[in-house]
Amino acid sequence: MSAAGPSRPPVAVHQFIPTLNPRDATGSHTLLLRDILRAAGWRSEIFAEAIHDDLATEAYKHWTYPDHAAAGDVAIYQFSTSSVVARFLAERSEPLIVDFHNFTAPEHFRGWEPHSEERAARAHDDLALLAHRAELGLADSRFNERDLRRAGYRRTTVIPVLVDYRRVGAGAPPDRRVAAELAAAKARGGADLLFVGRIVPSKGQHKLVAALWAYRRLYDPAARLHLVGGSSSFAYLKALRGFIAELGLVDAVRITGDVSDAALAAYFGAADAYLSLSAHEGFGVPLVEAMAAGVPVVARRVGAVGETVGDAALLLDGTDPTYVAAALHRVVADATLRRLLVDAGLRRLPAFGHDAVAPQLVAAVASVAGAAGVAGMAGAAGAAGVAGAAGVAGVAGAPR
Amino acid sequence: MAEIEEEVRLRRSSGDLPPKLERELDELFLAHSPVAGRGGDLTEALRMVDAATFVDPVVPVDSQRAAGAVVKKGMRTVLLWYVGWITHQISQFASAVSRALHIVEGRLKELERKVEVQRVPGAGVVEVPEAHRADAWWVAPAVDAVASVPGRIVHAASGDGWLVRRIMEAGGDAYGVDPRTNLVEEGVLTVSDLRGEELADHLRAVAPAGLGAIVLSGIVDGMAGGERAQLLHLIGLTLAPGGVLVLHSLSRAAWDGEYAPFEADLAPGRPLRPTTWQRLLDESGYDATMVDGPAGADYLVTAVRATVPPPEPTSVR
Repeated sequence: MSAAGPSRPPVAVHQFIPTLNPRDATGSHTLLLRDILRAAGWRSEIFAEAIHDDLATEAYKHWTYPDHAAAGDVAIYQFSTSSVVARFLAERSEPLIVDFHNFTAPEHFRGWEPHSEERAARAHDDLALLAHRAELGLADSRFNERDLRRAGYRRTTVIPVLVDYRRVGAGAPPDRRVAAELAAAKARGGADLLFVGRIVPSKGQHKLVAALWAYRRLYDPAARLHLVGGSSSFAYLKALRGFIAELGLVDAVRITGDVSDAALAAYFGAADAYLSLSAHEGFGVPLVEAMAAGVPVVARRVGAVGETVGDAALLLDGTDPTYVAAALHRVVADATLRRLLVDAGLRRLPAFGHDAVAPQLVAAVASVAGAAGVAGMAGAAGAAGVAGAAGVAGVAGAPR
Repeated sequence: MAEIEEEVRLRRSSGDLPPKLERELDELFLAHSPVAGRGGDLTEALRMVDAATFVDPVVPVDSQRAAGAVVKKGMRTVLLWYVGWITHQISQFASAVSRALHIVEGRLKELERKVEVQRVPGAGVVEVPEAHRADAWWVAPAVDAVASVPGRIVHAASGDGWLVRRIMEAGGDAYGVDPRTNLVEEGVLTVSDLRGEELADHLRAVAPAGLGAIVLSGIVDGMAGGERAQLLHLIGLTLAPGGVLVLHSLSRAAWDGEYAPFEADLAPGRPLRPTTWQRLLDESGYDATMVDGPAGADYLVTAVRATVPPPEPTSVR
């Protein structure tokens, strides 16, 4: 027995999330963060309103949390949409950290998906509801931090989302069948353009199709566009398919739906350029994945895109297809520019890596979880090569 | 980026692609969108509501598999009494909603007819040959005031880009906005970045504090109070701290003069006195100076927005 008496269990830092999904950025972030919290010495579980079948053993339903709750628990809410989980947490008393990944504004769904528009509007309310409860707001980007501050969050900090970009980076094993299909198409000529994201109006896939049309007309008649990601807007997907058919691009645009990590690696491996013309991005995980895969990025300067890519992308101020096509042509055809962008991306990558982000997250959590957490995480922070304890102690002294 | 813009300009001037390509493709896409994606035509929206009012419980039973159609038909027969009862109620509900919307549409149209006679039209662009050209007296000081500001510079009403060109030659990153799309289409052959839209619509789409300078000519002269206040509000949202607002207006004397353009008579408002602009801008957080034109026919107001930035989020780190 220890001379100090019976040992106390470490403080628990549990995460809550509306839907735990293996293939979305917030779900991946949550799983990675759980492992980091555990490595730092905290007990940590995930509680969700909905849990994907593949992750059934990784999380509990959120309403079971009272059975797990203990004095001293700290809650982290992974905020990306409206959910009953927000109302659930609003009525509890655990110190709360809101990890904000932003959500698509209602107007982007207007006229397309009424229920999504309503849900997005409720997300605004949820964000405000938790403002007075949250002791700390974490934001993926300065852009997101501004939204937190507008919603009334008093203490905020910016820490990039955790991205396991090794799944698409150099050396990631690609899906052989997909890679072979892409290689066969490439052998017939034409550039491969890539976008990864859900097929919803705010991601602007129709703008990508329009840009492809112009690019094929002006520069590369055999160019192809790969739209990787599932859809949560049937109406938009249907309109997109109609638009593609009307422009005669059925054979040039591939809508893949959700794909495995290996298939995603194959698409990145074949891409000549990553093109994003989204109307809204709170961070832009696929932009980082493109950097990791050595794919040059052309992106519309909107939301947090500029701060995510820094100087590692050709940033556009508009979506005019002629303009986008000219930019794509430069990136695809100019080897020097390609090299510059790819090198800048690879230089930028470590800032989003586990070793850089994990200690920041641990320090931020410790500022709320207090001394027990700090003591518990000392080894993990040290193992991560970070001397964050002094800074954390300073933060912990801030008003709670 | 300059090389890309030059490439775009060359492509457009060669006629490879039309200047309004984005708009044409957007319209083509929206033709595939559901009702509200097609703009604000209520009658068209109601027509689509009516078309979707009936919920058909008799599902298709075609199948690519041998026994698929038989199985589906059997399921349909078994379930039809149940599904049909539900869809009948849904159709009744949809019909009631549609009926209510038609009543609302009728009342709205009646209201629109009544409001139309009291409507205050927006001010159009009012230009005179002496003042709105590259060698006018106010152009050089306006270019000097904005050419070196950081960030993008917008000129409205830009016409064919005559002032945008001057600012770009002086080193500024300028583009133009003008609702007169015929002039814009002519201008894009020589100046790549001209947008054919209303200035207010454009500013609503610009990121907060996203502009380094705004130059207005032929825009504010005939504005009514409400429109002017709205424009100042939008400028306040989009002009960066330390940014420059340059405003050229005809004087009241020129506006009422014998050779004033006919648009002056049709405009809802008339030019403010320069001192009034100075007062308005001072109250809005600008440091404004004004210069009268040599013939007293027009004036130039140059205003620098206060450099105190809006409150930034504080960080725990």
